[in-house]
Amino acid sequence: MSDDRAKTLDVVPAVAFNGIAKTYPNGTVALSDVSFAIRAGSIHAVCGENGAGKSTLMKILFGLTEPTAGEVLLDGKPVSTGAAGFAGQHGLGMVHQHFSLIPTLTVTENIILGHEPRRGLLIDRAEARRWVVALSREYELAVDPDALTGRLSVAAQQKVEILKALSRDTRILILDEPTAVLSPPEIEELFNRLRGLSARGMTIIFISHKLNEVRALAESVTVLRGGRLTGTSRLADIPDDAIMQMVMGRAVEVTRRVPAKVAGDVAVVLDGVSTAVRDPADRIQDISLKIHAGEIVGIAGVEGSGQRGLVSVLSGMMNPASGRIAFNGRDMARVDALGWRRAGLANLPADRFGQGGAPALSLAENAIAGTDGDPELQRGPLLRGAAITARVRKMIADYSVRNSGIGERLDSLSGGNAQKLIAARELATRPRFLIADQPTRGIDVAAAAFLHKRLDEAARGGAAILLVTADLDELLRLADRVVVLFAGRIVADLRNGPELDPARLGPFMLGLETAS
Amino acid sequence: MKGNLLAGLVQLLVTLAVVAAVILVVLVPFALSQPQPAAVLTSFLLGPLDSVRHLGNVAEVATPIAFTGLAATVIFRSGLFNLGIEGGFFLGGLAATAAALLLPLPHVAAPFLAIVVGATVGSLACIVPGYLRIRHDASEMVTSLVLNFAILFAGVFVLNYFLRDPAAGTLMSYRIPADARLERLLPSTRLNSGAIIAVLACLGAGIWLFKTRAGLNLRIVGSSPGFATHLGLPSSRIVMMAQVAGGLIAGMAGAIEVLGLYPRFSWTHLPGLGWTGIIVAILARENPFLILPAALFLGYLQVGGNILAQEVGIPVEVVGLITAAIMLAVTANAIFQHPALLRLIRTIRQRGEASAS
Repeated sequence: MSDDRAKTLDVVPAVAFNGIAKTYPNGTVALSDVSFAIRAGSIHAVCGENGAGKSTLMKILFGLTEPTAGEVLLDGKPVSTGAAGFAGQHGLGMVHQHFSLIPTLTVTENIILGHEPRRGLLIDRAEARRWVVALSREYELAVDPDALTGRLSVAAQQKVEILKALSRDTRILILDEPTAVLSPPEIEELFNRLRGLSARGMTIIFISHKLNEVRALAESVTVLRGGRLTGTSRLADIPDDAIMQMVMGRAVEVTRRVPAKVAGDVAVVLDGVSTAVRDPADRIQDISLKIHAGEIVGIAGVEGSGQRGLVSVLSGMMNPASGRIAFNGRDMARVDALGWRRAGLANLPADRFGQGGAPALSLAENAIAGTDGDPELQRGPLLRGAAITARVRKMIADYSVRNSGIGERLDSLSGGNAQKLIAARELATRPRFLIADQPTRGIDVAAAAFLHKRLDEAARGGAAILLVTADLDELLRLADRVVVLFAGRIVADLRNGPELDPARLGPFMLGLETAS
Repeated sequence: MKGNLLAGLVQLLVTLAVVAAVILVVLVPFALSQPQPAAVLTSFLLGPLDSVRHLGNVAEVATPIAFTGLAATVIFRSGLFNLGIEGGFFLGGLAATAAALLLPLPHVAAPFLAIVVGATVGSLACIVPGYLRIRHDASEMVTSLVLNFAILFAGVFVLNYFLRDPAAGTLMSYRIPADARLERLLPSTRLNSGAIIAVLACLGAGIWLFKTRAGLNLRIVGSSPGFATHLGLPSSRIVMMAQVAGGLIAGMAGAIEVLGLYPRFSWTHLPGLGWTGIIVAILARENPFLILPAALFLGYLQVGGNILAQEVGIPVEVVGLITAAIMLAVTANAIFQHPALLRLIRTIRQRGEASAS
């Protein structure tokens, strides 16, 4: 046993998870048998894809939810999480990915919220301000205590969020993907501050899926995949590709779609397209991409790498700040959503019940929405009830939507059946360009296979298809080409084939490699 | 479709049952504290139904709140909580009076033209907050509430300086010419031809909302703005149209109320019938076809209360108490989202569909 290892064994870990499992009441298994320890005063990274169980684990540590089995040990002592005020009592602070600050309050007010210094019945504002100034000086996080929080830059707001997390004698600080909203210099600044905190003995848990950042900052790393621990190690002892394999899992053989023999004409062209927004999910930079008729182009990437922005500029929800977009030779950069649909776009949105349909309206109404002016379905302004019923019944039969009546609300359907109905509506227009954004997320295998078949058929019918998905199996099954986005840029554009597997895509998705 | 109507009716029946339970809980103990408990109950519950005159009273009371309930329905269906209905009702009554008094209206068409003027001017109370919301993202609830009072004070100013009859004892307008007033339908009640317009308006709006493309698009925009964006529907225009339509109905309601009931315009407070309209819209589940039963029901409560006050000498305020309790019960989702009830409705709808196909 090396000296190093002996040293880590000597010290009682700040946090230890011992056989943690979490099954939600609806049967979803979020975590099973997760055990690892975090050395006091270290920076420990937790990695994993979306849905790997990172958030659930942190919620358990933070006391927001109780594990189904297992125990959490703080400083070697088992604690019962889930009690009110748990996090504050044990010196836990958390910085959420989405800030929990109130924009109309000042920085001081936000930080003291919930534990205000008082004088009698009133808040002692002078004392509060002194306290925040001292806190800010102590941790070297410079903020203006009197500024309105909503007016601050995102990076400054994050400092406030960190100060707020530190304001209660915090010993363990959890940061959930803190770099997602920051620019590179801001990230460097944040890392310096975190190193400073760590040097003073603070234990920091850093959740991220960007490997280079993990390596730059953390001392050790734990990887989760599908709710299970796939590895925990000191970063010095483990190469990048080993971490990646723990994140992505072993390659599974998938049955790939046989692409059409001859590629059609170019249908969609993006040329140097950028958006000028802050939210990383919407931010794309200098995207150039061609999609041919009959081709399925798959977009891979860690969630929030610009997929939403790409879908938005290709469906008229957002106009690009710069660059050229053409669809069948027509300039589309300034065209709105209706214009795109009229030009032949169909869209399966990721948010099925928010954008794909109206949950409170009936199946029939959802199925015929957007068919304005269809002479079969309406006579003048009046809808033709019988014709609509016949059309919708046929759609439901063709897509085998399991339903209990076409007058039922859309949200009475399961996710898979709702998605089938939405697909029936969108594909009924015989689109020349189809965007499928997470088309089978959260739906059962049979429904997913059915939708895959329909997408394949649509491509064979000559549609250009953009498939955005977090499911790599689905991507490799359907896509003719795989385009990888990282931080809003295309980092790889690869032809799909037997040599392409998750292990090959991983380095691009995690920002370790660039091919183009 | 038959299944749908039947299912709606079940919902209404449940609503009525809940209301009946509340009446019993509030009214029975109250009745027992009176010298003649039986008389209290019978005059409140059966009084409104015991004569043609009383039934006429119920319809008379139901007319304006059916209109304002319809206006609220159209506006709520667009997803906005625009409370300009109250101001629109007031303004509609005032503008119709002004038109009848000041404009040289031709004899035959006088009531019609006065109502058109009232509706048009009254609609501003809903259009302005709607516009501010769409263009400047100002909360329509706040702007419409404030605007209602601005409209009231401006209206009282107009009444005082342009329409006031100095010969009348208090602040009221000149006599509205007989030509411009609406026909009475039932002797010894104030039931007028406005009631017929209310019925037609509710049926027309129901067809528009549920059987036309424009109505479907409005419901999409109102219930699911993200879906509307996805479809590329012109959401702003559709929402604005609903504010105009709701405003026109509210203004028309005010015009019909004044021309149908009163010899002179004398409102110096907001009449409150717009607020009642919101209650009607909620009771009717924002369904124009159910507005009439809902309005008639509130009319029935009101007339029952009046009879109680006149014949048994019980304060009208008690009725207010009962209505408030009813509102609480009726808006309690716990009852109406109960799985058993939802299942029943689903079964009925399926049966209706099965028989239709």
